[in-house]
Amino acid sequence: MYNTRVRGILIKGNKSFSDVSRDIIKPMDDKTPLWWYISAFIASALLIWGVWGFYNTITVGIGTWGLNNNVAWGWAIINFVWWIGIGHAGTAFSIFLLIVRQKWRTSINRAAEAMTIFAVMAAGLFPLIHMGRIWDGFFIFPYWNTRGPLWDNFNSPLFWDVVAISTYFMASFVFWYIGMIPDFATIRERTASAVKKKIYGVLSFGWIGNAKGWLRFETAAILLGGMAAPLVVSVHSIVSMDFAVSVVPGWHTTIFPPYFVVGAIFSGFGMVLTLMIVMRKLYRFKDYVTDGHLDAIARILTFMSLIMGTAYLTELFMAWYSGSEYELFTFMKNRVTGEYKFAYWTMLICNGMIPQLFWFKAIRKNITIVFIISIFINIGMWFERYVIVVTSLSRDFLPSSWATYEPTITEIAVYSGTMGLFILGVLMFFRFVPTIAISEVKGVLKETSTLKSFTDEN
Amino acid sequence: MRTSIIGIYEDEKVLMDAFNRLQSEGITIADVLSPIPLHGVWEKLKLTTRLPLATFLYGAFGAIATFGFLYWTSVVSYPLKFGGKPLNTLSFIIIMFVLTINIGTLFTFITYFIREKMYPGKKVELAVPRTTDDQFTIVIERPHNMSAEEQKKINTLLKETGAVDIIESNN
Repeated sequence: MYNTRVRGILIKGNKSFSDVSRDIIKPMDDKTPLWWYISAFIASALLIWGVWGFYNTITVGIGTWGLNNNVAWGWAIINFVWWIGIGHAGTAFSIFLLIVRQKWRTSINRAAEAMTIFAVMAAGLFPLIHMGRIWDGFFIFPYWNTRGPLWDNFNSPLFWDVVAISTYFMASFVFWYIGMIPDFATIRERTASAVKKKIYGVLSFGWIGNAKGWLRFETAAILLGGMAAPLVVSVHSIVSMDFAVSVVPGWHTTIFPPYFVVGAIFSGFGMVLTLMIVMRKLYRFKDYVTDGHLDAIARILTFMSLIMGTAYLTELFMAWYSGSEYELFTFMKNRVTGEYKFAYWTMLICNGMIPQLFWFKAIRKNITIVFIISIFINIGMWFERYVIVVTSLSRDFLPSSWATYEPTITEIAVYSGTMGLFILGVLMFFRFVPTIAISEVKGVLKETSTLKSFTDEN
Repeated sequence: MRTSIIGIYEDEKVLMDAFNRLQSEGITIADVLSPIPLHGVWEKLKLTTRLPLATFLYGAFGAIATFGFLYWTSVVSYPLKFGGKPLNTLSFIIIMFVLTINIGTLFTFITYFIREKMYPGKKVELAVPRTTDDQFTIVIERPHNMSAEEQKKINTLLKETGAVDIIESNN
């Protein structure tokens, strides 16, 4: 299947197969560390605050949000798009790199895929609660009803969104799970604990690792990966169409689908970088997530950042070139200058300029700076969604109804809640699941020990 | 009850050489258990899978079924115009695209487990538990009527080719 040569040393320390299993399973066997409890406490507190936000929204109504006649989409949609974007990294990372046969993915794909699952879960909550009457949520599904039956509007991007996001979640989950089965079997056979043996026995589905099993496993993995890859492109294209099919200045543009897809992968890779730096520090996984891995991600981000910068400039150019005064107003008076200029320039600097520092090898090698830049990317991409959603809506065609948007405490609580959910999910993943794909790392282990590291070469 | 002779190896390259040697000596290898996929073994054991064909069929079914449903709801059951667009519209392609992947993925996932006879909680007793970790095994079936010379030959070959241990299993 995907049997190709690798470029350099991916796993350091001359590990044996047994060492790989031991190192990766060790954090699951060790006593739960203090940092885990502290992080889980903070994440739970955020989640509880979020539950209050949800409760407030559902019992009182959408009026608890800072929305108004013009800005009918606020933080809910901003955060939805932000989380979905982050969720893209797992699939983009794991599956694109699988398809283009980049073996350095093996140390990172599991964590990136886990990130996808939790990010999509966090994202999915926003479309649910933004309906207000959540109990009528089933209206979105095409079902036999007493109104004709009157079916959904299948021309609506909002319906496409529901189909796309639920498919994306399912496809990401099954790809993630199937990849973990051999590792669960490894834990099942290695552990001395009867409880763990039982639990991982259930989770491993009776995997034995015979020849036919491996053949089917690899075939299934490549098939599921191959099918999920187009979803990376389609899901965020569809999300962009929520905006692009409208007639709102700043949204009604054909650049949106590619711009959103690249933005999603950019933000996702930013989050992968943040997470991997944290993980390798906490679990001392430097032999597995090497400086070479982080360097490779940083290089990809440099390229993505260039595309993002080009997209921002193209938008400005098109606003001028279109000759539409509304477009020109939205971009020049309401984004570049005006009330929301802070958000616009934060977006531009964090996404288009700061990651360009990765051109310098010294910056890429300094993990602290790489970590800080990855945080800037996360912030920048959040502001990008803020700029798109709020600036276009707050001042559209009718000046008499112009209004400024500010989030309320309920919106902030809901967002924090999803952050808590995400962090808690990631912490559970750190604790109970092998964070690095054991069998995949073993698969590239031999090839990587004789070649020179690609970072050392440069 | 089926009895097998199992040669245990600690290196994939040694195992592959042993595998080739055993096959060239005319010994039928029933299976190879390993902690990583061994691509060479699949070819030598002439193993194939029809999973890609199944996935294609699921996808084709998904595309046709989705179009059928969309056409029926939008053109036959309740023909309602949205924004002056035709009833049978190009927008269907987007939903068809996504649901083709949806159905293809879900059914492939399920088919994989059905074909592998795997399910949550399935009990397995591995003769060599370390095959899920760091050991490789060559499994040779031993029929009841296998002669003592033949068994000796197999054992000698396994040893010669670098097996660290040879066991017999009734699994």
